[in-house]
Amino acid sequence: MRGRPLFLTLCLFSSGPSLAAQQPIGTGTLVVAGPREALSPVPTLWRNEQFNREISDLIFLRLADVGPEVSTTNERSFLPRLARRWTRRDPRTLVFELDPRATWQDGRPVTAMDAAFALNRARDPKLSPQLATLLRRISTVTANDARHLTVRFTEAYPEQLYDAVYHAPPLPAHLLASIIPESLATSAFIQQPVGNGPYRLSRRAPGTLLELAADTSFFLGTPAVRRILFLVAADGEARLNLLLSGTVDAVDNIYALPNPGRIDKLPDFFYYPVPGLNLQYATLNLRNPADTSQPHPILADPVLRRALVLAFDRETVSKLAFGPFTRTPSAPVSALVGRNAAAPPTLPYDTALARRLLATRGWLDHDGDGMLDKDGRKLQLTAMVPAPVAPRRQMSAQMQEAYRRFGIELLIEPLDIPVFIERRDAGKFDLDFYAVTQDPTPAGLSQSWSCAAPTTTNAGHYCNPIVDSLIAKAAVTSPDPGPLYREAVRRIADDVPAIFIAAQVPVIALHRRFTNVTLRPESLWADVWQWSVVPGQQLERDRQ
Amino acid sequence: MSGWLLRRSLQAVLTYFVAVSLIFFLMRLVPGDPLARLSDDRPMPPEAIAALRARYGLDQPATRQFLVFVTQLMRGDLGRSIERGGLPVTALVTERLPATLLLGGSALLLNLTLGLWLGAWQATHRGTRGERAVGAISLALYAMPSFWLGLVLAWAFGIKLRWLPVAFMTSPWLRPGASFAARAMDVLPHLVLPVLTLTLVTLGATARYQRGALTEALALVTVRAARSRGLSESVIRWRYAWRAAVGPMLALFGLWLPMLVAGSVFVETIFVWPGLGSLAADAIASRDYPVIMGTTLLVSAAVVGGNLLADVLHRWLDPRLRDA
Amino acid sequence: MNELGRRLWADPAGRAGTVILLLLILAVIALPPMLPDHRVQPDIVRGAQPPSAHHLLGTDNLNRDVFARVVRGGQISLLVAAGAVLMSVTLGTLVGLVAGYAGGWVDGVLMRLVDATLAVPRLFLLLLLVAALEHIPLGILILSIGATGWLGTSRLVRAEVLRLKALDFTRGAVALGARPSRVIFTHLLPNVTGPLAVATTLAVGDVILLEAGLSFLGLGVQPPTPSWGGMILDAKPYIVSAPWSSLAPGAAIVLTVLAVNLVGDALSHAQAEGG
Repeated sequence: MRGRPLFLTLCLFSSGPSLAAQQPIGTGTLVVAGPREALSPVPTLWRNEQFNREISDLIFLRLADVGPEVSTTNERSFLPRLARRWTRRDPRTLVFELDPRATWQDGRPVTAMDAAFALNRARDPKLSPQLATLLRRISTVTANDARHLTVRFTEAYPEQLYDAVYHAPPLPAHLLASIIPESLATSAFIQQPVGNGPYRLSRRAPGTLLELAADTSFFLGTPAVRRILFLVAADGEARLNLLLSGTVDAVDNIYALPNPGRIDKLPDFFYYPVPGLNLQYATLNLRNPADTSQPHPILADPVLRRALVLAFDRETVSKLAFGPFTRTPSAPVSALVGRNAAAPPTLPYDTALARRLLATRGWLDHDGDGMLDKDGRKLQLTAMVPAPVAPRRQMSAQMQEAYRRFGIELLIEPLDIPVFIERRDAGKFDLDFYAVTQDPTPAGLSQSWSCAAPTTTNAGHYCNPIVDSLIAKAAVTSPDPGPLYREAVRRIADDVPAIFIAAQVPVIALHRRFTNVTLRPESLWADVWQWSVVPGQQLERDRQ
Repeated sequence: MSGWLLRRSLQAVLTYFVAVSLIFFLMRLVPGDPLARLSDDRPMPPEAIAALRARYGLDQPATRQFLVFVTQLMRGDLGRSIERGGLPVTALVTERLPATLLLGGSALLLNLTLGLWLGAWQATHRGTRGERAVGAISLALYAMPSFWLGLVLAWAFGIKLRWLPVAFMTSPWLRPGASFAARAMDVLPHLVLPVLTLTLVTLGATARYQRGALTEALALVTVRAARSRGLSESVIRWRYAWRAAVGPMLALFGLWLPMLVAGSVFVETIFVWPGLGSLAADAIASRDYPVIMGTTLLVSAAVVGGNLLADVLHRWLDPRLRDA
Repeated sequence: MNELGRRLWADPAGRAGTVILLLLILAVIALPPMLPDHRVQPDIVRGAQPPSAHHLLGTDNLNRDVFARVVRGGQISLLVAAGAVLMSVTLGTLVGLVAGYAGGWVDGVLMRLVDATLAVPRLFLLLLLVAALEHIPLGILILSIGATGWLGTSRLVRAEVLRLKALDFTRGAVALGARPSRVIFTHLLPNVTGPLAVATTLAVGDVILLEAGLSFLGLGVQPPTPSWGGMILDAKPYIVSAPWSSLAPGAAIVLTVLAVNLVGDALSHAQAEGG
């Protein structure tokens, strides 16, 4: 692919957003094709988070946004949005001052009560158990008056600001307080959300499209791109056809499309690699599938686990599945987290070294059948893979083939998703092909890779107390917890709790007529309101 | 006649009830907790999972669940989608129904007119070179996967020639308030490729059955007798042969519907047609069982209804059956 | 039966169909040992290559020989088709004959059950069957496809039997006191071959494609084992850039269906002449 990587950090407004977009340079329409429909583009009600969040971030602003380098600990890199400024009253208390110009799309002002309402909802374990876990270190949230919000924390730590603003953007309390939480998901508010951001939801055709229209009363200036259409096409072939036939301006990841080579010849498009949050790996079960209180008879040996990684050409396989920018980590760090927390050097593809390592543990081809064995037992493992997920099926088949030639028998078990998850939770597997979308912060590591993590996220029973204490220490270290995270990640890599295959770097195809373009790794389209169309390059759909 | 009709309708209701039970209990055979997906990749406390199970009624015994299910079904309530944030399945299904009716109806109409005519032409031109060629082509089309044909057509007419749109039922630019005429003119070009694909891949079956039925009918004693009475070939064809072929053809009516439905799952996916087929495909991909079940129940109802209609037509067209 | 075979052979179309079918079966059994190993390391750098002297039908996107895969895929596809179709046609014919001949409550009960099952889309039935079983050995796959395919045939056969029952020769046989089994097998069965041949022909194509549909859902024959349906599916993204990789298995399916059609046509023709 003829890549034209533009740097993501390139085009932030130097003079602040409120001055930048006041004079619309032109009109514009952005048409995006994606695989899934955003059914509830409302903060804290996200399901299929990524797709809903990408749209809700255009309708609902946060008090502050993480900066372009998506650092969760560097408070100075955060950008003011609904909050004009924030101060720290003491090491455990943050006070936000809301921008008086900010209004809901029904004309009511955005108040500190709205922010408190949303944060308190998110902290209720009955309503949103997952968010409540993430926000466990917030102790109280209070609105002092309409414009001032106080957030108190249980301890001093560097990610306080991130926790307070990232997960639960303000919601209109005057509209939602009267709706009982259980019926919120089916309420009219989900169909016609009232936000405070640059766009409002103007049209929804079920299964087909969502249309966002610029809000002319947006307090940071009317966006130059007046309209955004999100078209839904679950089939990759169909998305490719939409792109090739000139119907759309952008697709979310060209390497999720079949045969992306065909896109090469499109002269009107730029390609932007964006480090993502998705991580693909094969968990290695450290416990015996038959009795999870016992160590795994084969996989409990860390040297063998290392050999398994060395004997598999992860780089080729991951690039084949997810495109040439994909990284091959040796630890559980997505491309974005890896950028901020410097991932350790990755293990190479080295079958000779793998063979030597296995020989030291007694795994040799004693009977000359081409397969390794030890004490009369063949080196045989079973990998389960969710049957409907094509890329993982493909990777599992390639792993099976690589190991067969190497001398390890890998049986593949394709399972329906509910069965897959049930088996995973019960620890009844040797290997599984799994994927997670990580949080932008390395602190999220403890959700999956700590002794305390439940089996639903730590299915392989990985437990290293040193790693736990390093992450715990990093979480309260200020100003720079980086070295501690790096050390934790290095130790996880040393333990080889999984075969980490791919940290995705999606490549976005975008029509070249747009200028001022920034694509945010954690929410691709969140900055579209600052884009514009190069004058004179408008298409018919820009003028309609 | 009316007594028969009543009996036959009751039969249809019974049939549907058996189908519904079959669907329900087959669904219970599927291992794994259908709610497992909801926990995503973040930990979820057991109380929250229990609350969810109660919400979807999964904590009740199977027989009780069945009773609830049937009562709800009679009220038109198909349960709630797991994947789609608890939206009622009935709403999801009804908003997708018109698109499928338009696509399926157009394809069925085209299939029947073209297929019956083609089969009749083949039956009366048996053994000629042209007939063999037509037969081979229509069968080859039948043996073609619908997604393959659809993609080739989309490439040729949508991407190379840019004559026709490759996706959706309406242009994204069509305003919601557009007049009926404007809407129709917008839908029409979008309809061409999916209908063409669906018709072409199912045409072979109709033509092949019609050819077989008509060939046999033309060889019947009554037809031979008519011929010997000196009636013209076209009169024979229309008055006797078609009528004799009607029975076996109508028996097939119930088969066309599932065929079209199965075809439409792939065709709707390829052309992003916002109908039941693509809804079902999405639901299957995410194993959203309430939605899979809802679409299946609807298709089943259509098939049972279609069969009833076929029987009524058959009886009306073929007087001999009335005293049977 | 010998008589039928002789007539089949005498018909040029029937002969052609038989020869093609035999050749296809011979090819998928005899050729594989002579072909290069199909489980080579996927080569994404080279990718799909057009047909050449080295690769008769070119290679697919992973640079695997298409001809070798079509031949090996034929083993699975023909086995699935033959097994499932044989099973569904036999079952369907039996049920249709019995229901149509017996009439009354037997017919009523059988047809209600058939109607009810037929009303449930086959893909849904298979999806659930296969999901319920967790593992899908080839035998189970064939059984499941066969077990869900006989319903339509039984309806067809029954309709035909009802028509035949009204005709003079059946009435005559019954009036003369012939045993039911005799009426069924000597008078009715031979006369339903016409629609049966059609149903069989179409079922062969259906079944091969259905396997592709199941693969699409991740539930069919597991890769890297090739099957014709699965190959077309894998080659779907390359219809434009490497058409040979989907045309070859597609042509194999079409050829099989056409050959079965020729044989079926000739058989029903021969039957009509003899009957």
